[in-house]
Amino acid sequence: MGRFIYERPGTIEECLKSLKEPGVKKLIAGGTDILVELRAGKEPELEYLLDVSQIKELKGITEAGNKISIKPGTTHSAIGKSALVKEGLKILAEASDTVGSPQIRNAGTLGGSIVTASPASDPTPALIVANGIVTLQSADRGTRHVLIEDFLTKPYKTSMEKDEMLVDITVDNLKEYKMAFVKLGRRKALAIARMNVAVALKLDGEGKVTDARIVPGSAFPVAKRIKAAEDMLLNRIPTEELIEEASNQVAVEMIKVTGIRWSTEYKEPVIKALVKRALKKALEVK
Amino acid sequence: MSIYGEKLDRYKLVGQPTKRLDGEDKVTGRAVYAGDVYLKDMVYGGCKRITEYPAQVKKVNIDKALAIPGVLHIYTCFDAPKKQSWADYHYLTDEVKYCGDVVAIVAATTKELVKEAIEAISVDYELTEGVYTITDALKEDAPIIRKKGVGLKDGVPTEGTKGNIFYDSYFPIRKGDVEQGFKEADVILEREYRVPYIEQAYIEPEACVVYSDAKDGFLTAEASAQNPFFTRRYMADASSLPMKDCRLVQRTLGGSFGGKEEGVGCQVGRAVMLHLALKRPVKMVNTREESMMDSSKRHPFIINYKIGVKKDGSIVALEGTLVDNCGAYNNQTQFMNWRASVHSGGVYEIPNVKTDTYGVYTNNVHSGAMRGYSSPQVIFAEEQLLNEVALELNMDPVELRKKNVLKKGGTTITGQVLTEEVILPEMIEHLLEKANYYKVKAEYEEFNALNKGIKKGISLVTCYRGAGLGAEGADASGAFIQALEDGTFIINTGLAENGQGLQTAFAQIAAEGLGAKMEDVRFYGTDTHAIPDGGMTVASRGTTMGAQSMKTAGIELGVMLKETAAEKLGTTVDKVLNKDSVFTNIETKETVTMADVCVSRLWGGDQMAVYSWHKPKPLPFDHHTGQGKIAFPAYTFNCCIAEVEIDTETGYVDVTKVTSGIDCGTVINPDTVRGQMYGGIAMGQGYGVSEELEVHKGKLGNPNFDSYIFPTSMDMSIMDLVLFESETKEGTYGAKSVGEPATEAVGAAIAGAVSHGLQRPIRTLPCDLERVLLGKSLRPGGDL
Repeated sequence: MGRFIYERPGTIEECLKSLKEPGVKKLIAGGTDILVELRAGKEPELEYLLDVSQIKELKGITEAGNKISIKPGTTHSAIGKSALVKEGLKILAEASDTVGSPQIRNAGTLGGSIVTASPASDPTPALIVANGIVTLQSADRGTRHVLIEDFLTKPYKTSMEKDEMLVDITVDNLKEYKMAFVKLGRRKALAIARMNVAVALKLDGEGKVTDARIVPGSAFPVAKRIKAAEDMLLNRIPTEELIEEASNQVAVEMIKVTGIRWSTEYKEPVIKALVKRALKKALEVK
Repeated sequence: MSIYGEKLDRYKLVGQPTKRLDGEDKVTGRAVYAGDVYLKDMVYGGCKRITEYPAQVKKVNIDKALAIPGVLHIYTCFDAPKKQSWADYHYLTDEVKYCGDVVAIVAATTKELVKEAIEAISVDYELTEGVYTITDALKEDAPIIRKKGVGLKDGVPTEGTKGNIFYDSYFPIRKGDVEQGFKEADVILEREYRVPYIEQAYIEPEACVVYSDAKDGFLTAEASAQNPFFTRRYMADASSLPMKDCRLVQRTLGGSFGGKEEGVGCQVGRAVMLHLALKRPVKMVNTREESMMDSSKRHPFIINYKIGVKKDGSIVALEGTLVDNCGAYNNQTQFMNWRASVHSGGVYEIPNVKTDTYGVYTNNVHSGAMRGYSSPQVIFAEEQLLNEVALELNMDPVELRKKNVLKKGGTTITGQVLTEEVILPEMIEHLLEKANYYKVKAEYEEFNALNKGIKKGISLVTCYRGAGLGAEGADASGAFIQALEDGTFIINTGLAENGQGLQTAFAQIAAEGLGAKMEDVRFYGTDTHAIPDGGMTVASRGTTMGAQSMKTAGIELGVMLKETAAEKLGTTVDKVLNKDSVFTNIETKETVTMADVCVSRLWGGDQMAVYSWHKPKPLPFDHHTGQGKIAFPAYTFNCCIAEVEIDTETGYVDVTKVTSGIDCGTVINPDTVRGQMYGGIAMGQGYGVSEELEVHKGKLGNPNFDSYIFPTSMDMSIMDLVLFESETKEGTYGAKSVGEPATEAVGAAIAGAVSHGLQRPIRTLPCDLERVLLGKSLRPGGDL
């Protein structure tokens, strides 16, 4: 671990001011990712560590019209317990409850998870399903809003500028949707997702799909909605065969992007199974 | 046979659940581990390793590191006072054979400076050719890793030839005539099984603080040492001081399972050198990654069996080659493989046996002791083999086992006639009933016929384990008890509390003979200056063999106390009952307290302490044929039923229930036995479904607990335990081994259950996602 200066800004404004000043800087909220990275020597150039864990404006979950606003400093356990999230986007609550262990969930934050941009993030697929938008703020340029799907550019990379910080995450309230989150790990706790899937479906009175959102995690370099599979479901009744077809399409799309890799032999059949399982779970069919 | 609880009236304290002596300190955080020791002027030590190997080091450049303010001393592999330890391992070496080898050691005022100094050291080296797998090590043109390695001649390791086989680790078993046996067989199967490297994964990484006590000039180490006397040997070796000047104090141990032996020894040796150079206390604490590189692993094995059976299921011949990967250095395989060979035929009566067990040197992390000492590997292989035989014969796998298990009067593959009670057949029946085996099995098979995605499986495994060291070494020990004037006692032994509950069991055994209350007995943790060496705390020998001397000491001192009590009560010794620290005249019901008796003895100038030594009878054994009258004086019989649910779309195996029954002989303390069994099942579950240290070309692919996957509490199955008791003249108060039996059958039973659920043989561990779904691992590691 190198030597760096530790700062603890009290407000967003103070933090932004500090980010504007020269120097290689990183924010720490829960520290569940950055401390691991620092220990592994992955930030050799770091000069300043800005601790945002005490900034009150960065915490909390509120209803904003037909959307839910989650401040980035909110912990995974707070999200898992939130009645608002459970009602409007229960897959985010469920996904948050599968992050690491109780200790990690009590410390780790949703903002931290998004900014770390791990392809195996548990909450990210649920956020993308809900068309999640991040608000980034800088001292000089004010705020800008970016779809999380676009914000994540590569594994462990985002489009955040050096002087920016994440100040809000807004997701659709999907109260009307049927949804499910499925995670496969190597064990039941403290498991990094081998693969996960978040899905949400809206059905009309006849049982036809009017909106479909399918987001696998750990399958693509960055999590994203699989439009080709979603479109298959639109305006149709999700029968066993249709679910199968859409699930297979996710695997086809995965291979299009990643090509055949050492892990494809495993991931191809399993992503199909997990998407199928998630869709069935959402539709409450066996 | 009896179940624990049916014979509780035999003893006063033995067999009773009691409060664990070290429990409160551990759960409240009061316990002081070696890493918690801070001394005035203490500095920190650390190790420089290179990341490529094998290599010949040419130069170690330390000038930059030494220039860092606060960096106090550096020894390199060229100027350290001692390079090779008394055992096979090196404190430092210029011939880097594996990832754990150290080329320089550093002392600095803070941990952070130690790390900076290590990064500032550069090493010039030339890479040499390495060998990593068992298969490669046995190739004729393989580079020779160790000069002492030998080769194969006519398929067996032979002195005078060149190769990578560690000759001292070669143990043959020759019983009957296998050729003839195979001629009599109706079915012959030949199968290969493979098991991976396993890490002990204790919570506390290795740690020590070395200092000199100004009062008496002792060189003292407080360390997380599983075997204090073994570690003292490294102190004397590294310091070149006589043993009288080397004192090793064992701190509370945060788990060991065989792992804190040679690694801790070398760590203490390095700290000793830095301490002597600086004359300041030196602390060394391994990071998790260092711990994973440095500590020994459970040996990976490739096991080839050829088995001959008759149509009725009786086994007539077994041939086997059991080869393990020793790594670059070894001080364990030569002992462990003997145990492997003795148990290479399982717990079955087999007339004709020919097995060869040996280890090979490679440039991998070294293998050593890890709970089981070869048994989890061997049991996995021979029990899967039996499952395959059952399938081939279209026979129920339990019936096949019942047909062949050793019974009283039976002869083991080493030629030992079992003269004591053998309760295994009854244990099997009891466990089948307890787990409702046949009903559950039928239900699972029905379920599997109807369901595609999820499959369920159940499997029973039987095995046995020689208790203690047996003919591997002298299973002797000493114990000391002193009475204090207030009627309390201090007990001391050369064996160590490693988390297994030894303090509590020993206190109970001492108190039984003394007639004292448990809470009046304190266990003095191991200090090598306070008690003679009583052998290592290994081989699940602590209670069964190690406590023999504690029992004798308790009884001897108990008799002396009774004599004084009789005098005070105006009667004879045979009329005095000693229980709960009170002496009662059984005729008059008059009493005197333990304190009264002790104070009388003290002021009367009577003996207040006893030191007792126990050496068991010698066990004649021929290591050339693997035959002998007695390999082990007693055997712990073991039966385990595992149930699993397999997700055939993802390969995920959920262990749903484990029913485990162990022949404890006499249960000394049911709570500690259960603790051992629960922990053993957890470790066995890891072995069965998720654990594998991925070693690829000598490098560790998963050197921390985020990627080395052992079960969490969330993963644990329902655990149903049966504590069986049996009659034996051996073992302290009739106790047998429990620590390793608790884990050795579990992985095999889980694999059997997976095999049952999938209706296909399982020949490798672990049953992880990829192996279950695809039948192979996709990870780059897994070099055996």
